[in-house]
Parts: sequence; structure tokens; C-alpha cells
Amino acid sequence: MKRTYEEINEKIKKGDVVVMTAEEVIKVVESQGLESATKEIDVVTTGTFGAMCSSGAFLNFGHAEPPIKMQRVWLNGVPAYTGLAAVDAYIGATELKENGDLDYGGAHVIEELIAGKPVHLRATAYGTDCYPRRSIETYISLKTINQAYLYNPRNAYQNYAVATNSSDTTLFTYMGKLLPNYGNATFSSAGQLSPLLKDPLCRTIGIGTRIFIGGAKGFVAWEGTQYNTTVPTKNGVPLRPGRTLAVIGDMKEMSTEFIRALYFHRYGVSLAVGIGVPIPILDQEVMKFASLSDKDLFAPVLDYSLQSRNRKPLKEVSYAELRSGSIELFGKKVKTSSLSSYYKARVIAEKLKKMIEEGEFLISRPVQPLPEERSFKPLDIRSKEEV
Amino acid sequence: MVKKKYLLSFTPAIVNEPLTYKMIKEYDLLVNILRAEVSERGGRLLIEVEGKPSQMNKGISFLKDAGVEVRELNEYVNRDEDRCTDCGACLSICPADAFEMDKQTWKVLFKGDRCIACGLCIDTCPPRAMKLRIW
Repeated sequence: MKRTYEEINEKIKKGDVVVMTAEEVIKVVESQGLESATKEIDVVTTGTFGAMCSSGAFLNFGHAEPPIKMQRVWLNGVPAYTGLAAVDAYIGATELKENGDLDYGGAHVIEELIAGKPVHLRATAYGTDCYPRRSIETYISLKTINQAYLYNPRNAYQNYAVATNSSDTTLFTYMGKLLPNYGNATFSSAGQLSPLLKDPLCRTIGIGTRIFIGGAKGFVAWEGTQYNTTVPTKNGVPLRPGRTLAVIGDMKEMSTEFIRALYFHRYGVSLAVGIGVPIPILDQEVMKFASLSDKDLFAPVLDYSLQSRNRKPLKEVSYAELRSGSIELFGKKVKTSSLSSYYKARVIAEKLKKMIEEGEFLISRPVQPLPEERSFKPLDIRSKEEV
Repeated sequence: MVKKKYLLSFTPAIVNEPLTYKMIKEYDLLVNILRAEVSERGGRLLIEVEGKPSQMNKGISFLKDAGVEVRELNEYVNRDEDRCTDCGACLSICPADAFEMDKQTWKVLFKGDRCIACGLCIDTCPPRAMKLRIW
């Protein structure tokens, strides 16, 4: 049984498309079998809402009178990158306010902009013949500026590590607070709802795929940074952090319900981004992967007290175990915490489902597939001759 | 038997007196010290007390008579519902199991009555939804 993008979009337009969330489809496949479920269901929706540090926004402020070629820009005291044109900037989610505090950064500026709040803009310049102004101080909001779009180079990671800590001191990491002596374990993936775990080979997700991002409709722009296909698999799904997506979306259509600034104590700022990806059920293989459940999906447990890129997993655990509230490590029961919100992931998958059912969201065929083979290279100290 | 939590404030003048010990011994109360602090402004003690209601009332009166400021605490930590994203980062950190994941809705439930005011959840919460109300 085969199905095309065009057939699905026709059904969406006619209003008789059958959509299920990645969670719902698990039960349907269990009860009526893969073949019948494939025939019945056109689209499966996924969702995830977690810390995605590699995020940021491009902003165009418009021109001042007299004009300024902004050389340095601060938004609410957070530096934004201005090595673009005169009044464009990129504010990175993890950039920190310049007062030494670790707990306010680009992510907060992005959240406040999306909330419709005024944001303080300060810029300095060296002055040119066409841009004589040397400084400006004003307030901006999403209403007053031209473009404001998120461009996130690495989001929606396909799988991630489970973090724990064998040392005898508490560690403060991007995986949250890790208690001493394997006192807890934290994980991040939405498991059975996570977009790239449900289409592990990216058969339907590629450049140009229309997605849900932060409450808006956006697109997959490119392969994400650190995209990696050379990882071991189980049930055909990567067991380690694998593929990633670079995504883009209009901030003016977003909601703080799906974009949230985060602060990891003694680590820094990050941005929680809500992403949902529809998976068109083109054939039985796509459905087989889309219907894998938390008990079929596994993540590696890593000891974050080892400060090395070469740490080996202590063991592999299923998302069903992780979500049960505890895992077993060396015969000890270790409590688990999710850092991403399964509740929000579900809201996103449901919302995307409704948008498709109501004809507001069409499925797009990728303009170009993502790479089938790509390795994740380390950075070593090399001489000029060695590179 | 009842169980209550109290925040005791001692002026510098009475910090040296073993008043809590006297209360425990005299009125046969089970006391669990949750937090303790001494500074130039005096001392503060957050305790959980278990005992017969009549004994407990007498014990608290004894402390008040001795010059201790006593405040019963029912809410130690506040959750900003708007900021909470229901991720669950707090679940594995809380030593008192005051947070629970509702496996139907996948929302994080906060059981304030189990909270021992340790404050460990405060800096654990990435969206900064938890606020300590005492100290």
C-alpha cells in the first residue's frame, strides 16, 4: 500500500483526512495490526518541547533618523550579533546579559518579544558618510520591527543522552542538577512523541518540510548542525544522539505557550522550543516506525562527571523505563526526571492534528532529502599541515 | 496525633538557650528539624512537630512564653502555574516526593503538604516556576 503527498493533501482539502498523534497510533497498530492501520491513517503527528540551546532570532529594526550602521547592539542588556547589514541582528538564545548574571539572556529577550512586551534597544556605531549616527537608545516590540524570525541551527535532536553523576558532588549541567552518587538521572527526548524518533531515517522529513514551531507554521531549513547518521541503532532507531534539524519560523505568529526561556542553575540560559512534525504515512515502513512506542526506543545513560567526549554509556534504557519514574543502575533504584515536557509535546501533537484535520496545515514534500550519511567530527588540536 | 510545621524565630538574647529541647522533653513531642540558621539577627528554625494536639498547643505556648516568635507554616514553596511547563525536572530532586507526575495528563502535581521547605526545587526548575516563601 502506497500513498502520495498529493493524495493526502487532497484529503486534507476535502476534510476527510485521517490523522492521529504518534501516541494514539501506537494503540491502533497494536489492536488492528500494521497493514490495516497503514490503510486507515494518512498522517501521524509528533511533538516535542524541550531545551534547544542552538536557537536564536534574526531581527530587522528599521532605520533611524538620521540612520545608523549598528556596530554593537544590546537588547535588554543582552548583546546581539550585528556583523550583518546596518540594522539587522541575530540574538542567540544562550547569549548572556552583560552584567555578570547567568540567569538572563537571549532566550528571555526572545520570550519577551513573543509575549508582546517592549524590549530596550541600545546600539553604538562608528559613523559613516551614509550612516552618520553614532548611537541610539529606544524601545522595540514585535509590532515596531520589520522581520523577526527564529532561525535555529540545531533543534529536535533525534534521541539524546540520559545524564547521571557518579561523583560525590552535585553537578550543575545543561541536563539539570545531577545529584551525587547516581542520586538521579535526567533525560530530554519526548520518546514516542519525538519527531525524528518516529521517522528515524527521515524518509518524510527533509528541507522544506512544513512544521509547527513555537505556535507558528514554519519549515525545516536544512540539516541541523551535528547531524549524525553513524550511530548504532535498535529496532531501526538511533540509540545515540543522531540527526538534527535546522528550523525557521515567524516569531510574530508564535506564542509563549510554546517558546519559553530557561535557566539552568550554574550553567546558563537556554530556550525551550515546541516543535511538531507531521509524518505522512506513505507506506507500511513509515507506519512501522511511526508506531514504535516508548518500550521500543532506547537512550544511553552517560556519567556526566567524566568530562570527556569519549564517555561510554553505562547502559541503555528504554523511554518506558525512564518515564516510569526510575531506572536501575548497579542494582540501585535511581529516580528520573524529564527535562522536556511530555505534556506540552502532547499538546503540540494534538494541535497539529487538529490543524491538519481542519485544513489549515498542508503536508509538504521535502524539496530535498536530508543527508543519508553524515558523520559527527570531533575537534582535535592539529597543525596547519594536518588539516 | 497531629503533624504541623512551624517557623521559630529566636532573638539573639535567647539563641543560647536550649528551648526546643525543653519543649520536646516536657511535652513529649516528635520534632524533625527541616532547616536551621543562626545569624547576627538571631536564629531561625523550621521544624515539623508531631504529637497529641493538647501537648502540641502547650509546647507552642511554652516557646511563645519564652520569647520565641512562632509562625505556623502551611505553604513553603509556591509554584507559578504560568511559568511551569510540566517538564518534571523537579521530580528526581525533591527528597520529600512532593512532586508527582500524573501519568494520565502528564502534568506535574505539587503536593504542598509533603514539602519540607528544603528549597532544592528552586534552582532545579529551568523555567523558574518555583519560589520559596520563607527564609
